[in-house]
Amino acid sequence: MFLRSVRNLYLIVTAVVAVSLLAGGLAQWLDSGAEEGGRFAGYMQRVHVASACHIVGAVGVIWLGWYWIRLAGAITSIAKRLKADNIMNSRFRANDKPKANGNALIDELSDALTEQIDGYSNVIGELEKQVSDLQIQIQLTQHQKGHIEAIIYGIRDAVIVVDEYDKLLMANEAAGRLFNFDFTRSQHKPVGDLVGRDKSEFVDILSHSRQSKAQATRKEIEFLKDAELKTYDCIISCVYDQKQQVCGAVAVLHDVTREKQIRQMKNDFVSHVSHELKTPLASITAYSEMLADGEANDEQTIKEFCSVIQSQAKRLNRLIEDILNISRIESGLVKVEKKSVSLTILIEEQMQMIRSYAEEKNIEIIWQKPIVFDQVHADKDMISQVIVNLLSNAVKYTPSGGSVEIETEVDETENLIRVSVTDTGVGIPEDEVEHVFDKFYRIDANKKQAKGTGLGLNLVKQIVEKVHEGRVFVSSKPGVGSTFGFEVPLATREVAEPLPVMSKG
Amino acid sequence: MSKKRVLIVDDEIHIVHVVAIKLRNNDYEVITAENGAEAFKLACSENPDIIVTDFQMPVMTGLQLIEKIRQCDQTKDIPVIMLTARSFAIEDQQKEDLQISQCLSKPFSPKELLENIEDILYHRAVISRQV
Repeated sequence: MFLRSVRNLYLIVTAVVAVSLLAGGLAQWLDSGAEEGGRFAGYMQRVHVASACHIVGAVGVIWLGWYWIRLAGAITSIAKRLKADNIMNSRFRANDKPKANGNALIDELSDALTEQIDGYSNVIGELEKQVSDLQIQIQLTQHQKGHIEAIIYGIRDAVIVVDEYDKLLMANEAAGRLFNFDFTRSQHKPVGDLVGRDKSEFVDILSHSRQSKAQATRKEIEFLKDAELKTYDCIISCVYDQKQQVCGAVAVLHDVTREKQIRQMKNDFVSHVSHELKTPLASITAYSEMLADGEANDEQTIKEFCSVIQSQAKRLNRLIEDILNISRIESGLVKVEKKSVSLTILIEEQMQMIRSYAEEKNIEIIWQKPIVFDQVHADKDMISQVIVNLLSNAVKYTPSGGSVEIETEVDETENLIRVSVTDTGVGIPEDEVEHVFDKFYRIDANKKQAKGTGLGLNLVKQIVEKVHEGRVFVSSKPGVGSTFGFEVPLATREVAEPLPVMSKG
Repeated sequence: MSKKRVLIVDDEIHIVHVVAIKLRNNDYEVITAENGAEAFKLACSENPDIIVTDFQMPVMTGLQLIEKIRQCDQTKDIPVIMLTARSFAIEDQQKEDLQISQCLSKPFSPKELLENIEDILYHRAVISRQV
């Protein structure tokens, strides 16, 4: 359309210029002929010169016209292209674009350029906005990265992140301490070079887990740390990229040494309990079967069998009671009723209980002069249990003719009362003294002396230390005797109840 | 025919007593020990036909006793029955290596113990006759 208009314009302009030139040449020639007349040669020369000039002029005009057409065609083509481009950005078209008057080509070119500039401006605006968004996202990502790193560094478990070649990408302080490396100097180094040979099992598991592409691998591994064998629960998780290819692994090592010890202790406890329960039960079932089968031939044997069954049933009951008491104290489920009680009265009561047993064995019980202030803030039944366990043990392991001495002492500096029971018994071997308060611990050499569950002293320890915040102690010399005792805090004098008035006689 | 001699080893006096009564009532001769060390001496001196031993004992455990018995030429062929509350603690391989004929769990039946003793001694007698 535009091109056609330009061509029409060219034809009109060319025609007008050519006609005007020819008319001008003819008019000049007619004027000259009328003024000078009759001189034919002169006329012919002038006509030729004028015509040549006009033809040259007309050719020039035609060439200029043609050049103009081509130029206009090129500009139109550019304008069309720009216009086509601007269709994409038509939404950015400005409504208030300047309008060129008169020349349609210039207008259209101007429109196209304006639209293009508007489009580019909008694109630049968009890009600037995107750059700003990206900068915010980068800041956010850096913040989140810092946050995640702070979390990982704060984890007490060792955390190690490796790439697909088992090279270190990240590790927290706990990992550095465990494997003895400095993360800042170890980044991008193979993990195998960083951990010691003694921990090569970890490297093998890490590498194997990553290669097997297993989502998570869990294994308990043991390392020597600070000359102590530690157990770690090692969980290795593979890290996947967007194509679901393994691009690394994360290992978390949790120290389960204590848990393992507790597990072992529980197993040992269950094993001990089952053994200790089965032993009296074995006697009860065996003797019952013998009675039922008529293997007891006379009255005396029958009585003997029944007596064994009774004593073993009592033993079983004692065991169960002790186990339950210890378990209740350990789990904090025991009902404790603490109040101010007189230790003197408690000792006297328990001495009465044990006296007949001591007399049977011809053992003298001596009690040093009672103390003036004897009030303790304690659970009466539990402290009574402590005293009777210590007294009965002392009598049990003391040969006939020996003695058991009770001493009470107030330590005002420490604000506590100390009770000790010293016997002239068989004593305890030096290397076994530290174990006497352990559950089910019985001294082999002394087993012949008396029966026991191996729980009595442990119960004493639990009651004194866990319930009354006190302390137990022991000292012994084989063949000479032992001293067992405990300390508990004194009751405050304000809350202490007065000693009951003892009736004479 | 002479009585078969059984060595009973246990630190629980009531167990020793009840097993001894059961065996004596069934025409066995019984000797007893309270621990492994004492039992080994008796095994060497008294040459029992069979040993019934507990596992957990002071001074020397039942397993240590059996190891010693198997190492000694004089006692290595004596059949052994383990009578224990810890039968779970003895692995099959250990039983095989130490040639433990039977492993009975506590609580146990004296009748069942007697039957086991009779079975083992009978099979040994058959084998020795064949040899």
